[in-house]
Amino acid sequence: MAGRQIPQLDEKPKKEMSTTRDSIFKSIRSALEPLPERTPRPEVPHGIADAQWLDDEVETIALFQKRAGLVGSLTFTDAAACAQWLASENPGKVYIPAEFSELIPIFSNHLSVTSSYSRADANTINACLSPAAAGIAESGTIVLTDKSTPDRLAALAPWYHIAILRRSNIHRSIADALAAMPNDPNIIWVTGPSKTADVEGILIQGVHGPGVQVCLIL
Amino acid sequence: MPEQKVDSFARRLDRPVQQAVHDNSAAGTEKRYGVLGKDYSDSDKLRKLAGAIRQHSIEHLDTYLEQAEASLKRNGAQVHYAVTADDACRAVSDILKRANAKKIVKSKSMISEEILLNDHLAAEGIESVETDLGEYIIQIDGDHPSHIVKPIIHKNRRDIARSFEREGLGDYNDDPETITRRARAFMRGKYLEADAGITGANFVVADSGRLVLVTNEGNSRFCLAPTRIHIALVGIEKVIPSDADLAVLLNLLGRSATGQQLTVYTEFINGPASKDKPSGPEEMHVIFVDNQRSEILASECREILRCIRCGACLNVCPIYRQASGHAYRSVYPGPVGAVLSPLLAGKNFKQLADLPKASSLCGACNEVCPVDIPIPDLLLKLRNKAHEEHIPSPGTPPMGPFGTLASSPVIWNLALKAGAATHLIPLDKLPLPFLSPWLKTRTLPEWRGGKFRNWMKNRKKK
Repeated sequence: MAGRQIPQLDEKPKKEMSTTRDSIFKSIRSALEPLPERTPRPEVPHGIADAQWLDDEVETIALFQKRAGLVGSLTFTDAAACAQWLASENPGKVYIPAEFSELIPIFSNHLSVTSSYSRADANTINACLSPAAAGIAESGTIVLTDKSTPDRLAALAPWYHIAILRRSNIHRSIADALAAMPNDPNIIWVTGPSKTADVEGILIQGVHGPGVQVCLIL
Repeated sequence: MPEQKVDSFARRLDRPVQQAVHDNSAAGTEKRYGVLGKDYSDSDKLRKLAGAIRQHSIEHLDTYLEQAEASLKRNGAQVHYAVTADDACRAVSDILKRANAKKIVKSKSMISEEILLNDHLAAEGIESVETDLGEYIIQIDGDHPSHIVKPIIHKNRRDIARSFEREGLGDYNDDPETITRRARAFMRGKYLEADAGITGANFVVADSGRLVLVTNEGNSRFCLAPTRIHIALVGIEKVIPSDADLAVLLNLLGRSATGQQLTVYTEFINGPASKDKPSGPEEMHVIFVDNQRSEILASECREILRCIRCGACLNVCPIYRQASGHAYRSVYPGPVGAVLSPLLAGKNFKQLADLPKASSLCGACNEVCPVDIPIPDLLLKLRNKAHEEHIPSPGTPPMGPFGTLASSPVIWNLALKAGAATHLIPLDKLPLPFLSPWLKTRTLPEWRGGKFRNWMKNRKKK
């Protein structure tokens, strides 16, 4: 049979792998088989784990801003104010993806802007704008996805990360965001700047990722 | 009388270390109570629901693991299985060798500690750098984590500053901010030159095939940005049915672990990076590791497999706070470790059979557990297992004489009567010269043994 002419080197690991898999499944089945009954799947009503204060807050955007502030993120609702603030921080060159054609002129007023980013820039470009696919008001979280983020590194390596969030894309709760998970190879929820408390429990921001996490809501 | 090993470790522990572990754990417990109380009127109900989700998941592991495998493959990931720790290590190094990957960045993963992955990779000539700040310090010190989420709870800033100086990361400086900045600069270089990133996974969602990873530092994200290969090591018990279950589990995990509503970075990995993107791994491998878990599933202690590794039971445990994590002589310390570690030891159960005794059975671990694991019950089951296997148990008072007394009414009665003889002991004449000044001014209490029995016998029934 022509189909059997697979090189031996390839065949061997495959065979071993399936044996390993089978033996694990066999052990699992024989572990579960004697159970007189198995715990049924509990009902998980949508919103069961929402924070109890969620319904007290009427306005989603105000809630988003409040919660983002509590986890140490900055929020802006005006691009010019955001650009001015960033300029006052003196970050050097700013990476703004070309898709933000309306923002480039606003930031260019105050800062030197580039629309290209490569691996080599990871240690030199200290500020970057990137599109947020969504936001979560309950936790002040921004959602980045592989499909909407031009470069994973650019959204992570700079000290200043400014996520551009459209008002209409803010989910009210964590449960809402989970129910609307996009089909994307990599979704990341960012809830504040990169943090550690490994040294004596003292909170330090900016361990590997951004030390300053900003959200510009448009 | 010989001591329990956990006790003697606690006794030898440096006071400042003990204080640090105690204070940091206690602070963790406080934060957890604070945030859960503020955000939920009945967080207990949520804990019970999360427990039911996890119990259901492990009791249907055959179905969900198969489903997770199919979903992962559909998403473009390659799925591997490993029965033992050695198999898992070899699976990792085989993937790396095939892809000619020499330099690895690793994000924190308890299972990689469990299988001693770093030692294996070093022996294979592969450089593997821990990127979580705490884990990196553990790695350069050749130490072991002493807490599930706060690996260097037993070290202070001066210890760390000395380690950094020794490793050539600048002159001695014990300012936590400086330490963190130096780590940032050093790790940056490591990320950018790495071929592969190794992570664990907090959850694997069976129906969507999402691997969920939570970190605060952002190191797991960095392990998956400039690298070309992603390898995830996952215990087979991490599987849950669907994304909707995450609403309960994620909301409890961050709050229980660090008092945060959510950890800073919650990453949902659904396959290799999109084809047209400049960064992100082009290959994704998931290695499901058994390493005794299917044995645990078959045991009466299977509830321990619900664990989501938040560390809340460590923080609240009076024994952990006094003894610190290394007292447990295994990767998983504290109450969860006292159950899990002897079980993971498999044939070597005997060596860790004392751990289930490192508990006063106060039940605090069960009360804080986000998945409601009945840890005290499991500790009792394991104590019983040790007893049935005739494993000697240092630190246990000899109960044999009491057993003889208590099981024979005749001897018991006799002993109660004979107890009155203590009235005749002349305390001031005892041959204990060093105690005599103290004993001269003291008397033994009046013997009251048998009073109740007499009363019972003589009382008039109304």
